[in-house]
Amino acid sequence: MGNHPPESRRKDGSDYPQSTKPLENDKIRRLRARSSHFLYVIALFIAMSIGAIRDFDFLPSLPPGIHDLLGKPPSAEMISTALLIYSFSAIILILSRMMSGSASYGGFTQLAYLAGFYLFYHFSGAMEENFWAVFAAGMTILGLESYQVWSWCREEIRKEEEISAELDRKRRKDDNPDV
Amino acid sequence: MFRTLSARAIVPVAVAVTGFVVICCILLYSVMKTDMINDTTTHETNLTDTVIKSTRYAMLKSDRETLRNIIANVGDQKGVEHLRIFNKKGLIMFSGDPREVGRFVDKKSAGCIGCHAGPLATATIGSMERVRRFVNERGVAVIAITAPIYNEPACYTAQCHFHTAEQKILGTLDIGLSAAPLLSTLAVMRGRMIIFSIMVLLLTVGGVAALLRRQIFIPLREITEFTSDINNGNLDRELTGISGELSDLADDIRAVALQLRNAVEEIEELKKGPGQTKEKT
Repeated sequence: MGNHPPESRRKDGSDYPQSTKPLENDKIRRLRARSSHFLYVIALFIAMSIGAIRDFDFLPSLPPGIHDLLGKPPSAEMISTALLIYSFSAIILILSRMMSGSASYGGFTQLAYLAGFYLFYHFSGAMEENFWAVFAAGMTILGLESYQVWSWCREEIRKEEEISAELDRKRRKDDNPDV
Repeated sequence: MFRTLSARAIVPVAVAVTGFVVICCILLYSVMKTDMINDTTTHETNLTDTVIKSTRYAMLKSDRETLRNIIANVGDQKGVEHLRIFNKKGLIMFSGDPREVGRFVDKKSAGCIGCHAGPLATATIGSMERVRRFVNERGVAVIAITAPIYNEPACYTAQCHFHTAEQKILGTLDIGLSAAPLLSTLAVMRGRMIIFSIMVLLLTVGGVAALLRRQIFIPLREITEFTSDINNGNLDRELTGISGELSDLADDIRAVALQLRNAVEEIEELKKGPGQTKEKT
């Protein structure tokens, strides 16, 4: 399949099984793709923040009926308290995932929470005073999430490359037992 | 940058601590700013009530001269950017600036629109909703408050019989105070919080980084360099100065290096052959 030079064949002239190396490269490719997913999340967050800093003035206002259905928005103090608790718990959870070497990535979930905070501040009319707090929380949490998944993927890629190198060494040793 | 152990250990902690401190400072500043603006608004509302009460007797006696003097004296005070009373139609009757008397105010401007958005004006409104903040034509940041002058029994039963009982609001007092002291205080508070945050971050991140470097990274580098030298054939190097839990690792590595040195010496002896060994004996 193009991964073996012509001379790397068994002594009896048969080919090595082709499935091993392409699968390994595929895994490394998938890990590399996964390690860059965070860029999309951060780009989405920055785009959302650009809308938020304008207080979502490009969005149409909600009809009065829906406003009445939603009721009175929570006060800015309540939203700020929730933001503080959320930031603290999110940072603790991410650091504990780093410590345990977990593979899970919560970037899109965090993005949804941050969007919720932007919307709550928008509806309560306190966006101008609190935008930077949500932005700082988002950059911190998404930055840590990104670093966690990136470093896990790098570690897995390194392990896969070591396994591939070890298998290559064994195959060459089988080929040339006298060396 | 993230290949080294020190970067991988310190950067996430630094980002987490820095981010959280920044979030806390921004939220705290926002809350304190809101509280200070509310305090200023309360103070201004009290001042408005004081002015209305001070002018009440002059209004009852229809003593316009005294009323004009009171407005002029209060309007001349330091920090008062504007002070005016206008009637139901928006015509300015009394003002700290005599040039404004006889002009109409704009009902659609900020502070007026709250009551005058609909076809009928709102008769009562909370104190915080009466506040508006803007920059006036002189470039001064102003916190202005409008207070309606309500009709009272003493007003519509006075001798002059000027106001009828059905009239709920007789006029509006509009006072604007300079926001410069408030903004100056907010700036000082912001500066102090920034300095405090920087000090906390330097102590936390710097202290953790310094201790980690001293207790872990430098000894680990010594051990790494020692094992690298051993691997490259330099068996005479010594490993010293390792303390704490890493000293067990250092001891084991020294023992391995010593065994390796002894093994190499034995091999050298064997290579020289039995003849040389006999000579020695």
